Amino acid sequence: MRTLWFLLKKLAEDRVALLGFVLILLLVLAAVLAPVLATHPGDVLDLHPEDRLLGPSGTHFLGTDRMGSDIYSRLLFGARITILIAVIAVGASLIIGVPIGLIAGYYHTWFSDLLMRISDIFLAVPQVVLAIAIAQTLGPSLPNVILALSVTYWPWFTRLVYAETRSLQNEIFIESSIALGASPWRVILFHVLPSVSSPIIVRTSIGMGFTILTAATLGFLGLGPPPPTPEWGRMISESREFLPQAWWYAAAPGMAIFVVVMGFNLLGDGLRDILDPRIRRGARDEG
Amino acid sequence: MTRFHTTVRRLGRGTLLVLALGAALALVAGCESKPDKPTKFVFANTSSFDTLDPHQSFDVGRVAPRINLYDGLYRWVDNPPELIPWLAESYTVSPDGLKWTFKLKQGSKFHDGAEITAEDVVYSTERIFGVGKGAAALFSRMLEPGRTKALDKYTVEFTLSKPSAIFLSIIPEIHVVNSALVKQHVKDGDWGAEWLSFNDAGSGSYVLDQFDPAVGWSAKRFDDHFYGWGENSLPEIEFRVVQEINTRVLGMLNGDYHGTDGYLPYDQVKRLQEAENVQVLDEESMRIFMFQLNNQRAPVSDVNVRRAISYAFNYDAFINDILSGSVERNPVPIPNNLWGVPKDVKGYSFDLEKAKAELAKAKVKPDRELTIGVLTGFNQTEQAATLLQDGLRQIGVKSRIESHPWPVMVGKMKEPSTSPDIVIYWISTYYADPNNWIGEMFNSAGWGTFKSSSFYKNPKVDALLDKALQSTDMAVRAKAYEEAARIVVDEAAGVWVYNTKWFGPYANNVQGVRFCPIGNGQEMRWVSFK
Amino acid sequence: MKLLVLTLKRALWFLPTVVGLIIITFIISRIIPADPVALVAGDTATPAQVAALRAKLGLDQPLPMQLLNYFEGLLRGDFGRSLFTTRPIADDLMHRLPATIELTLAAMLFTMVVGIPLGVISAMRRNSLLDHALRVVTVSGLAIASFWLGIMLQLWLAMQWDWLPLAGRIEGFKPTDITGMYTVDSLLTGNWSAFASAAAHLILPALTLAFPALATVVRFTRAGVLDVVQSNFVLYERAMGFPPVLITWKYILRNALISTVTQIGLLFGILLAGTVVIETVFNWPGIGYYAVSSILLSDYNAIMGFTIWSGVIFIIVNLLVDIGHTFIDPRESGA
Repeated sequence: MRTLWFLLKKLAEDRVALLGFVLILLLVLAAVLAPVLATHPGDVLDLHPEDRLLGPSGTHFLGTDRMGSDIYSRLLFGARITILIAVIAVGASLIIGVPIGLIAGYYHTWFSDLLMRISDIFLAVPQVVLAIAIAQTLGPSLPNVILALSVTYWPWFTRLVYAETRSLQNEIFIESSIALGASPWRVILFHVLPSVSSPIIVRTSIGMGFTILTAATLGFLGLGPPPPTPEWGRMISESREFLPQAWWYAAAPGMAIFVVVMGFNLLGDGLRDILDPRIRRGARDEG
Repeated sequence: MTRFHTTVRRLGRGTLLVLALGAALALVAGCESKPDKPTKFVFANTSSFDTLDPHQSFDVGRVAPRINLYDGLYRWVDNPPELIPWLAESYTVSPDGLKWTFKLKQGSKFHDGAEITAEDVVYSTERIFGVGKGAAALFSRMLEPGRTKALDKYTVEFTLSKPSAIFLSIIPEIHVVNSALVKQHVKDGDWGAEWLSFNDAGSGSYVLDQFDPAVGWSAKRFDDHFYGWGENSLPEIEFRVVQEINTRVLGMLNGDYHGTDGYLPYDQVKRLQEAENVQVLDEESMRIFMFQLNNQRAPVSDVNVRRAISYAFNYDAFINDILSGSVERNPVPIPNNLWGVPKDVKGYSFDLEKAKAELAKAKVKPDRELTIGVLTGFNQTEQAATLLQDGLRQIGVKSRIESHPWPVMVGKMKEPSTSPDIVIYWISTYYADPNNWIGEMFNSAGWGTFKSSSFYKNPKVDALLDKALQSTDMAVRAKAYEEAARIVVDEAAGVWVYNTKWFGPYANNVQGVRFCPIGNGQEMRWVSFK
Repeated sequence: MKLLVLTLKRALWFLPTVVGLIIITFIISRIIPADPVALVAGDTATPAQVAALRAKLGLDQPLPMQLLNYFEGLLRGDFGRSLFTTRPIADDLMHRLPATIELTLAAMLFTMVVGIPLGVISAMRRNSLLDHALRVVTVSGLAIASFWLGIMLQLWLAMQWDWLPLAGRIEGFKPTDITGMYTVDSLLTGNWSAFASAAAHLILPALTLAFPALATVVRFTRAGVLDVVQSNFVLYERAMGFPPVLITWKYILRNALISTVTQIGLLFGILLAGTVVIETVFNWPGIGYYAVSSILLSDYNAIMGFTIWSGVIFIIVNLLVDIGHTFIDPRESGA
């Protein structure tokens, strides 16, 4: 608890990280308060074709889309989708990837090598491609997008945890606890994991941003949740045939994505500076 | 500052200048390659050309190679479409309607100089069956392999298995290939399909010059073409694949393209109309936008559910708001401007109350999500789906939109079990006869082709359609189609939305375009620059 | 010696990794519910004809059998045929490879030429306005959706102001085929108009592709230089009265390059992943576009072909980078 307070205090001192935190807070607020903040909350489902492709105005802050729905309101509700995807996908990747990394890192058997090679296989193909293939195979929908993203992101956690665990093994406190007869599980859970938690936290924040981008890409390619779900990537793809006249239609969702991912990246950077200054040089596993 | 530093800086500036100059020169040189009267006509096409083989493709999106590189016995021209003798000069039909004899013009040549004979026509017909794609299914309804004979060097005889009123209408789909040339390139009994996908064995007005599936194809005028040439014609044509709408529009505005197809949102059409160097021709065409309903799968198999769906679509909003009134409402499965349309049928309109009433009468209730299939890349289908989804939602029916590329959708529509509940697409003119629409859509013998994914089965309608197909009396045929249309509309076997107008954007200095719904305005031999 | 052992160990795992990749991709590609055989058979084929075609393509055999057939084919260098273009996948890939290489090289070139100096300057003028501006750019670089950036550039530079072409590789037919890279080929054959067109078409996609890579390079260069500057600057400044600027540049640049070169693997990954989306946005007929369209069309063989190809390349590059890394920076010869 005290460390948390310490962390927050340090975070507040780094203005850039603070900015990131604020941006993320805005995202959460937008999502939670969407029904209140939206000017046309019904427009998630309602259509008004006669109002289509209107520019930004007093009634429609960010204009209307091809079916006449208010873009501003749809963006707010889209924030919910964004958060949902990011949290569940990264969460699942964490749950899968960290234990695998711990086990592979702690033990030095052929099994560890096997685990790492399996994770290598998943990393061999660009995540986007694998996610596209999975989403297309299973059919475009929200759950399938989340699944596709989880399945392709866990290796990043595994590699990170593996590297950290390996480098920790020569640390005295680990050696001594083993010498004292602590079981492997005890060592892993109570000694390794806490030490590894810092890079994991950093990677989680950055991973959220990365996942949101990949999810938007899937939506852009038509592999995300189908209409009328107000997914940001899909909105951008819908806008293309109406450019350049309806420029707001493409600009608004893109800016939303940018601001949100920027928030996670800034926060992640700030966390990295605080929690793990020795990897300032930039870990090899940037992604 | 050190001497080194200064030298580097000076060098840097100088190099930069040279580079900039060079780039400028290159760009200028590039820009100057636009002469006053162009010698090459460039057409920007939405669909890509994966094959040039005239017997492997059948759709309107890829019609350009077929009508420019190849010839048929007869040809569809102009609007309203008219059938004129082409490679053939005349034909006769036996009284029982089974033997069709065509006399070829003499001295017509293929691109390699060989003369076109009846043997080539026979080979081409057999090849259609052999390759098994394209128009094969259409011909196999009335003709069998081996029933086509060359009576002499210039006479071909087709013996049909049953009389067909549309046989003459689809004769243009027998694109005559150079049998000697194709036979040289046959591999593993493929009828030369692999070779012909990338090469030219035709006799058409233009000779293939270059082809790259990722880019397009170009062709040069065939001076020895049997039809002859007027004073003004195009020396060279190029069909380029440009899938992006905005690139096509910008290209027209820039003068990079001299023509493009009208698959544009109306907003973009307006933009082109307002441009000074672009003319937008328009004609009434025959292309129905519709929702195919899967009549074999519950709950859409229930007639009341289908009627409810028909009442749940906001036709006015779609036609007037989304399409800016650029199309005509067409509530029956035959284009309004063709014969065979029952004039007394009003069709369905947007009425949620009526929709709910129909739903109440339904014996099978829609308790699951209906699947609405749309075509990837054709945003209009998606917009229609969204509108339909909204209407359905308001009567308490849930639905899910799934998007697939056209080839994938065609595959899904082969079986009632894999076909979505509702599929949104267009049915274009393959030949100008009501059978092209209502005939192929609702004849239960045709299940599995993309036109007949309604999987509709009504013996009364089958009988009417067969009668219309086999009679040669226009009055009889018209009456049969009208009656069939009445039944089908009453049973809401599908939802028919609009009949399209053709918009043809061309450069201002282009003249002579003869639009025909079948050739889609891509027949280049009549065209020239002013 | 230790290096050799390490290298061998990694190389030994190469084959099983590739095999594992193939198996996983195979499983994924075969669970696809759509039936591409039906649509290859043609719009109007009967179910009987479809079944015949399926047998001909060997797709009616049990899955393990199909997998074995596939492996057998691979050993012969046969990736199978695309269900759509009906041409061998290997041919399709080779045909499209130069386009992707050209795009990636252009992006890489831009990234290095602009990124490294920027990173150095940013570090040298730490906390200046320029530095802060660059930090904003670098963070943005990894926060912008690349497809959106591409569309925005298209919107402004191509549609609104008409400075650059919207999409595609070239206007008109390509120059004589030597390398397959239009810019290079047109230069080699003196085809100036083709060069101008090809270069103009290359700018927007390359810029879009380079942006995240640029951000990464600037970051790492800056970090690398900062370390050096802070530790050795004072020492060298005192050294033998050499012009400090010259020595600093030479020393710092070397370190900057090193820290960037070690990230080549990472950069390569970013660029490869980027090509998939950017080629789709700009209709650039390369491997990335091929991958996306194959997936959307459920073209089994093409999907497998692309995945294996990219997987192998990626694994090789990572292997080389790992080896190179241990050479350059022996301190970090960890796992």
